[in-house]
Amino acid sequence: MDLEQLRKTAAEVVARDDVKYLIGWKKGSYGSRVAPAFVEDAASVIELIFSPSCTANLATYLTLVEKTPLPRGQETDKRKVALMAKGCDSRAVVQLLVEKGIHREDVIVIGCPCPGMIDQSLLAGKYGDTEERSEVRWNGKDFTLVRGGDEIEIPRNDVLAEKCRLCRHPNPVISDYLIGEAVKEWDPAEDSGVGELEAKDVDGRGDYWEGQFSRCVRCYSCRNVCPLCYCQDCILDRLNPTWINRAVNFSENTAFNISRAFHLAGRCIECGECERVCPANIPLGKINRKMAREVREKYGFEPGLDPDAEPFQASFKPDDPEDFIL
Amino acid sequence: MLLNKEKWPEFVEKLIGKNLWAPKLEGEAMRFALVAEGEEVSLEYGNTRVPPKGTAFPQTETMYRFQLGNTDMQEPKLEEERILLGVRPCDARAMAIIEKLFRWDYDDPYFLKRREMLTLVGLACNDPGLNCFCPSVGGAPDSAEGLDLLMYDLGDSFLMESVTTKGEALLAETKELLTDSDADAVKTKEKLFADAGAKIKRTVDHIGIPEGLPGLWEDPLWRRVSASCIGCATCTYLCPTCHCFDIQDEVEGFEARRCRMWDSCMFEEYTLHTSGHNTRPTRRERTRNRINHKYSYYVDKFDVIACVGCGRCINLCPVNIDIVEILRQVKEELQ
Amino acid sequence: MSENYEPNIVAFLCNWCSYAGADLAGTSRVQYPANIQVIRVMCSGRVNPLYVMNALQQGADGVLVSGCHPGDCHYMEGNFYARRRLGMLKDLMEFVGVDPRRFHMSWVSASEGNKWKEVVEKTVEDAREAGPFEGFRRRQIDW
Repeated sequence: MDLEQLRKTAAEVVARDDVKYLIGWKKGSYGSRVAPAFVEDAASVIELIFSPSCTANLATYLTLVEKTPLPRGQETDKRKVALMAKGCDSRAVVQLLVEKGIHREDVIVIGCPCPGMIDQSLLAGKYGDTEERSEVRWNGKDFTLVRGGDEIEIPRNDVLAEKCRLCRHPNPVISDYLIGEAVKEWDPAEDSGVGELEAKDVDGRGDYWEGQFSRCVRCYSCRNVCPLCYCQDCILDRLNPTWINRAVNFSENTAFNISRAFHLAGRCIECGECERVCPANIPLGKINRKMAREVREKYGFEPGLDPDAEPFQASFKPDDPEDFIL
Repeated sequence: MLLNKEKWPEFVEKLIGKNLWAPKLEGEAMRFALVAEGEEVSLEYGNTRVPPKGTAFPQTETMYRFQLGNTDMQEPKLEEERILLGVRPCDARAMAIIEKLFRWDYDDPYFLKRREMLTLVGLACNDPGLNCFCPSVGGAPDSAEGLDLLMYDLGDSFLMESVTTKGEALLAETKELLTDSDADAVKTKEKLFADAGAKIKRTVDHIGIPEGLPGLWEDPLWRRVSASCIGCATCTYLCPTCHCFDIQDEVEGFEARRCRMWDSCMFEEYTLHTSGHNTRPTRRERTRNRINHKYSYYVDKFDVIACVGCGRCINLCPVNIDIVEILRQVKEELQ
Repeated sequence: MSENYEPNIVAFLCNWCSYAGADLAGTSRVQYPANIQVIRVMCSGRVNPLYVMNALQQGADGVLVSGCHPGDCHYMEGNFYARRRLGMLKDLMEFVGVDPRRFHMSWVSASEGNKWKEVVEKTVEDAREAGPFEGFRRRQIDW
């Protein structure tokens, strides 16, 4: 990734009058963490980075801004927002366009072809973690960890995030600016996590998920971090009627997790954020990927690729499969 | 008193019948759970993922049950006594800190009863975590505040020091496994935990922050630090000192229960009024409240910072919002 | 499972076809199991997947959703949406460990009293085989 080109493009974009800010990544507060950066002026573009630590999906910030009531006579800020987007992030943008969650003219996509991201917990587990800042870089095939003057070679598959192992679209599917060259796509690994579960019988799966869902603390970080969970009035916050009680127990946790997964069926773009942020380490990605695969194989639909597509659950085909109907 | 590590399994065995809870690996993270018969307890962990505050302040607790159209209430029986083994000093301190709130304008029966039935056996930290900063906020890797009994890992034995009568009673019960401590052990302990304190790299300089925070009410700082917040409750639910709760009625057919459950100031509906007005409409106000509550309001009311420096909110924030970094910026603004 | 276990089935029937079909079964004195609790909705496309989940949570052992045959929907295309959504739901529930025999969907028109009988028999039989639902029922868990 050419940081010079990135910063030059970013400076050019944020200098425009019709751009509010650019959402990108900057160095985080410790270790090899990165944090989202909101760049408002050309002088701050220097803090922008793009490294294998940029696992987070920034498309979630497009819909996260609260719409508070404005004083009389004041108009809403209609300026554009620029966004650095990897392959999966750009698919989230496309899906948001499909659902009209955002409008094409309101967003500038700075496409960043992505050679694969790391999983911080894998990295910390295998190579330790430091309070001191470190950096991870791509070095062609593998990763290099630069920490305290040392350079540690890390084999790609040691720390590659699961979503990247399974990735089918590492290059941005839409972009207004493309930084660097498109990367060569790799063969997605077989989804062994889902496969193992499918091999179990239905009770075995029930036991597995009972163990997982019982741990859920209902912090809703999976919902909030998801770029496609952006309802103004979420069913989980509703009190009248209360579909899903606030109480934390296996019953309500399962109801919550099923409804969350169902709302994402045919919409999930497999960015793996829900799984990454879960403080209880619940493998939510498995459910989402399973649903995404069903949609792909049974209905021949893949979300987040075509901005002109119809939303999956709000459309139908006369010949949809109906083998399950009595 | 000293407990040789060879006697450790016996010591645990003695406690198991008494509703013993200890950190257990669940998935990839440690969590306090009931220790069943014949199970081994390992104390090799940094900090549990979810703090043990839930043992006195459960995430969901039934206050009473009732039937629709009937004014009779049935109060559930509170759980029996339990022993928590291997509580980190920061988490124990947090229990002492939130107890101040639950004793504030009236004595909260639920928390206090549960708290009374707990015996906290602490384990001092030999190897504090990456984002720990307890010494900056009044704690220490070997602080005994809030604990009944504190164990120090000296390598081949544990040095046990009772703090309260409950702790003494526990030591008396396991007397035959223990040997008297000597001056050497105490010396080793002091050296070990001075070293442990020195391993902590992160610091917060809170001098002037409690008084200064209200003056920064409209500071642009809050928009800056909250811009990346996604508004989840990871930082608050996993915080050992966060104690906000909500009370809701749950109805099933004709039966109902009133229960109280954790709530988080980072949620949008936390301050949402029935009218539709929200007093903290954006993440800016919510983040400001979180920091103010911990470092200003609580100090104002109870004279103690409601943050024990356990580092959970830093470790687990999905978007790397770092309370140490926020406080550094606050300090900068104040100067 | 006790000998005299009778499954509790919640059925969501569309107003225009399946409800009329069940009605016809009744007026024609067709005998079918009485384990069904019918909830009439205007269209099968109106059945929110949450209804299915909530029924199971609140004590149903099985759920049936029935609508008009494809192409016969009173609202032109409601049942097509239902087919897609509830088909996904069935896959999802199966993946998280809910027995697929607990959830069925059928097309029953207003003239198919006998088909209605078959559908109910099959649904009840399946739920009976699957046994009482103990998965994520609300009242079984620390209530």
